[in-house]
Amino acid sequence: MSAIQTSAPDTSLGRPGRVTYLGGRVAEYVVVLFVAVTLNFLLPRALPGGPLKLFGSPEALARLTAEERAQIATEYGFGDPVHVQFFAYLRSVVTLDLGTSLSDGRTVTEAIGEALPWTLLLVGTSIVCTTLIGIALGVIGGLRRSEGKGAGTLIGAIVVDSIPQFWLAMVLIVWFGVKWQVAPTFGATGPDGVTVTGLAQHLVLPVATLTITGIGYIFLYTRSSMLNVLTSEPVQHAHARGIPRGRLVRRHVLRPALLPVHTLIMLDIGFLAAGAIVVETVFAYPGLGRLTFGAIAARDYPLMQGTFLVLTLMVVLMNLLADLTYPLLDPRTRTGGES
Amino acid sequence: MSAATVPEAGARPRRRDLLGRQGRAGAALLALIVGTAAYGFFFLPDGAGKTREAVPYEAPSGAHPLGTDDLGRDLLDQLLVGAGTSLTLAFLVAAVTTVLAAILGGMAGIGPRWLSATIMRGIDVMLVLPELVLFILVATFLGQSFGIRAAILALILWPAPARVLRAAVLTSWSRAHFEAARAMGAGHAWLLARHASYLIGPLLVPVFVRTAMRAIVYDATLSFLGLGDPTVPSWGTTLYWVQVNGVFLSDAWLWWAGPPGLAITLTVVALALVGTSIEDRLNPNLQESR
Repeated sequence: MSAIQTSAPDTSLGRPGRVTYLGGRVAEYVVVLFVAVTLNFLLPRALPGGPLKLFGSPEALARLTAEERAQIATEYGFGDPVHVQFFAYLRSVVTLDLGTSLSDGRTVTEAIGEALPWTLLLVGTSIVCTTLIGIALGVIGGLRRSEGKGAGTLIGAIVVDSIPQFWLAMVLIVWFGVKWQVAPTFGATGPDGVTVTGLAQHLVLPVATLTITGIGYIFLYTRSSMLNVLTSEPVQHAHARGIPRGRLVRRHVLRPALLPVHTLIMLDIGFLAAGAIVVETVFAYPGLGRLTFGAIAARDYPLMQGTFLVLTLMVVLMNLLADLTYPLLDPRTRTGGES
Repeated sequence: MSAATVPEAGARPRRRDLLGRQGRAGAALLALIVGTAAYGFFFLPDGAGKTREAVPYEAPSGAHPLGTDDLGRDLLDQLLVGAGTSLTLAFLVAAVTTVLAAILGGMAGIGPRWLSATIMRGIDVMLVLPELVLFILVATFLGQSFGIRAAILALILWPAPARVLRAAVLTSWSRAHFEAARAMGAGHAWLLARHASYLIGPLLVPVFVRTAMRAIVYDATLSFLGLGDPTVPSWGTTLYWVQVNGVFLSDAWLWWAGPPGLAITLTVVALALVGTSIEDRLNPNLQESR
């Protein structure tokens, strides 16, 4: 949510120069990713309530003989020394052979491959709606505020930002799904398979939930960024030079004001897939979030690690993309290191 | 008397200006909610909201203003007791997180290079992991009791504020009067106590408030997903039972699902109003335009 990472380059990265700078950032992300993969490997193993629980009730487990336990452990590789498991895990990550789900027999790659497009559709649509509406309102709000109007919108944004996602989802289901029956509340497709209208209808309520709960944050951020730039010295100087307000906003305010918003949104995209876990669960949407939640509930190690890996990878990729696109928007960082 | 009310030029802002109108509204709302929680804690009998008191699925009445749930438990009692659970957890998590963030962020700011690098890389990794998923994962395995939930949340939420506080420490330390003090032989401890506390101390308030907001929402979400402690009434747990019992299909959702959801929203709004007001007043760039 508020994991705002400044894109300002770290001065410890060595000599300025764009290639060095980007190379440094990429290397940093590779290290972060490696540590995340390691954590991903360790976390489920470090936690009590091991995978054997999955194979039956505690009573049934108590009846298992030592050989049977050992056999199950060998079959799934839980018995090997940790470093052997770790290298096997690293190899499987690189080759995308993430093993077989313990709870439904599909390969993990297959399960994720099926869920990922749904999440991308859901999250992608929400991001577009949230960004467009949030930024537009934020720019207007910032401009109005700088003229001394519109203090009330701030409260509206705070209220919208505070509604818990799962509760809004329930309220939408009650009104639009049950009372007025205008939108489906369950799944991603209708009874007649994948159709454009069916897909769109099933997107309405989940996207509405994600958009409404996401707008407030982007609005507030854009608005305060606008205010920051509007009161900055270069803009006040431009104003003093007699530049008309429309041109002032278009040429001097919008770009610098939207820079931090761009970074924020890029990072948000990375986290939205994980954030959709609640919405996907409430609306039974067959995406990555629901898959993750199911995997955790079933203590399905391979699937859990697989979904975690993808969710983490998305965040890292979006971080990297934010860094890579930042110089395109901010000319000051184009020549490299120091800004 | 009248002369005393005219502020001198350049005088310190009067104390009540610390919050502003919105901040005061938020503080009043928060006080109301805390008062409600305190009432639930001190005046309701043990087991309120946990035991069967009437016919299940009863509509609101004089004896049970919000009706009863599927087990005949009073929903108003659940709301009041739940307020205590949610607020206690939020404030506990916020306090621990703020202290953690201050210590680790501070060490990353002024500590030796290796320590700073280690902490910052740790923060980088933590910030890449999806918080909610991590919270669900760890809670599923370690258990869902109050103390464990609070501990997990504090451990998950510290990195973002620690980064903010590190930046604040770095900025402070590069100020001219810090350099002057250092040139006269001041150590880190002296700088921290004598000079930095005025600059960094106020920043801890928004960190505390923001963490409390996130703790409330995350914890309610966890309970809603059925991973909370089902024996202790909380706003999220009540909403979990709404979902489980399919209350959507009847009118009961209005008094069953409405109040706890509104309570969460109002609490977060109150905290946000207080937090943003204080933040605004700490950001000198914005002071003129608000």
